[in-house]
Amino acid sequence: MDKILTIIKREYKEAVFKKSFIIMTLLTPIIMIAMGIVPSLLVRMDIEEPTVLSILDESGIIADKMPEALDDSLKDGTPRFIINILQPNSDTDQIIEAQKENVNSETIDGFLVIPKDIVEGDDLKYYSKNVANFDLNRRLQKIVSTITIDHRLQNSGFDHEVINELTKSVGIKTIKITKEGEESERGFIDEFFSTFIFVLILYVTLIMYGMSIMRSIIQEKTTRIIEVLLSSANPFQIMAGKILGQGSVGLTQYVIWVLFGFILIFFGARMMPVSADAFSFSPEILLYFILFYLLGYFLFSTMYTGVGAITNTDQEAQQAATPITFMLIIPLILISFMVKNPDSTIVQVLSYIPFFSPIIMFARINLSTPSMIEIWTSVLILIATIVLMILLVAKIYRVGILMYGKRPTLPEIMKWIRL
Amino acid sequence: MPVLEINNIVKKYGEYTAVNDVSFDVSEGHIYGILGPNGAGKTTTIRMIMNIIAPDSGSIKLFGQTMNDSLKSRIGYLPEERGLYQKMKVIDMLVFLGELHGMKTAAAKESAVFWLEKMQLGEKSQNNIDELSKGMQQKIQIIGTIMHDPDLIILDEPFSGLDPVNVNLIKNLMMDMRDKGKAIMFSTHMMDAAEKLCNEILMINKGNKVLDGKLNEILSEYGKNSVHIEFHGDGKVFNQNDIVTKVDHYPNYVEVEMKEGHSPSQLIKKVIDTVEITAIQSSKSSLNEIFISLAGGN
Repeated sequence: MDKILTIIKREYKEAVFKKSFIIMTLLTPIIMIAMGIVPSLLVRMDIEEPTVLSILDESGIIADKMPEALDDSLKDGTPRFIINILQPNSDTDQIIEAQKENVNSETIDGFLVIPKDIVEGDDLKYYSKNVANFDLNRRLQKIVSTITIDHRLQNSGFDHEVINELTKSVGIKTIKITKEGEESERGFIDEFFSTFIFVLILYVTLIMYGMSIMRSIIQEKTTRIIEVLLSSANPFQIMAGKILGQGSVGLTQYVIWVLFGFILIFFGARMMPVSADAFSFSPEILLYFILFYLLGYFLFSTMYTGVGAITNTDQEAQQAATPITFMLIIPLILISFMVKNPDSTIVQVLSYIPFFSPIIMFARINLSTPSMIEIWTSVLILIATIVLMILLVAKIYRVGILMYGKRPTLPEIMKWIRL
Repeated sequence: MPVLEINNIVKKYGEYTAVNDVSFDVSEGHIYGILGPNGAGKTTTIRMIMNIIAPDSGSIKLFGQTMNDSLKSRIGYLPEERGLYQKMKVIDMLVFLGELHGMKTAAAKESAVFWLEKMQLGEKSQNNIDELSKGMQQKIQIIGTIMHDPDLIILDEPFSGLDPVNVNLIKNLMMDMRDKGKAIMFSTHMMDAAEKLCNEILMINKGNKVLDGKLNEILSEYGKNSVHIEFHGDGKVFNQNDIVTKVDHYPNYVEVEMKEGHSPSQLIKKVIDTVEITAIQSSKSSLNEIFISLAGGN
């Protein structure tokens, strides 16, 4: 036990006082916050200018009613739209050409052509340099169709008031039911972002610490430090010391991040220039975050240890570790699907499979309300797998660390395990 | 009582027998050498002693107990291929190695500082290992092996890769330790180094024992006992006695092979009145020749 502690101490000290650790630990929360704030800040800081529109109404029934529907104003109180209604004459082509020229020279932002047969179903034409402005496009389309429908209905003998009453649209409000029964209003984007940030951190740290332990084992082999370590400790002590040592490094990092998270939860609203909606997760999520990181770490770092023990160079190891890395990528690929269908069968099944559960069960907890039994079943399966994996890898490690040169074949590894 | 007792250890890797039925003892105040060419089974034997690999059969006892990991802190082991964490500070590396051998942090630090001073590396203690020259790194390795004051020191090919200064250093250190009553065991393929240092030796080849015993007994038993004599005068006199078995005559000197139990000085007494001797040199066979004559026959 003393020897394991000595090795833990060395691994910890050598990693935590490294510059890269300090930078990574401090930078991650900053990036996290930036991902939450910057989009809303950008929206806020967007400089608002009035939109200049020209409208040519060949039908003569729409354009007059349009300024009424586009009468909202900018933050500084001036109208959002400056509308110039053109009178159709015999030579519409010439008007269109002239307006296109205006769009091109940016004297106007857009040019809307309402065809003569709009009521019969002809399409609108909208000329602009920026046709990807969906908000505006959709708005113009909606206004014209409302006026057109209105017109059609009036022609069919309906009263204006009745029409308004009949064509009223319905809105939607999304409300998430959380475990405490509280209701919080969160949309897909919020769910996606908060889950995505957590899952990304889990993924990055699991790979990073797994790879780091793998590389350090290869380094100990190639520099023959392992021979010196074996003069006083046995292989199991060295392996346990390394995994626990790196694990404490990761835990330190997570505790710092989670403390950061608590600060955001409790003081976020006061510190943030914008609403901290993306950070509105419950504190217990952060505790699950640490729990599933630790479980995932022990599983994956043990597997990466096995790969390090049977390989001799970083390139060789990276190749051999591809299946393991792939197991970590799958939850990342599934994230969008998970956010939409957190209770689908495939997500439920994957949340019990130990190689995926650290990330997927955590995501389920964040997105939906799995029962305690479900959560702890997943955790117990994980723990059992970790124990088995440690026993297995310890046997591979024992032999592997003294094998230099050729990478052993699978049958050879099976023989080591049976020893 | 011997510090280390090895009885009939065998290690096989599949069909290949790395070590076959090897036994020997190492006692306090002795330097024991395991000699043999590369691939003879020296490192495998040492790894079995260090409990790094388990023998298929046979027993290994240290300080009267069956070898187990708790005894490792009483051994100072210098592996044949050895490395250090390049990015660690010298003092941290040594304290780490000391602690791994069961020392308390303070004691490890004290011992590290003592040995660094002794090896003139005191001012390097705060440097990273990779800032040190290769020779200095070798010294750090040696300090790491002995800093916890072990009772048994096991050195696997200690001279390989060392610069001449460090070869001397380690030889002196081995003799110091022997005089302090430590048991020392080392393996080497350099027979002449063994000849100068060992009290007892074991020669192995292809996993099998070739020969073992006290060095001087082996030399007198297996070595031819011959003398190289330069002289002026009539060389026939060397044949006219009953204590030589063979005389080879050359223009200015003779090679005389002595009978068992007779020494060159007896021969000189018999011839000194007849010839004028200008130089005399005993030409015992070296361990190397003994090894080749014995192992070559196998």
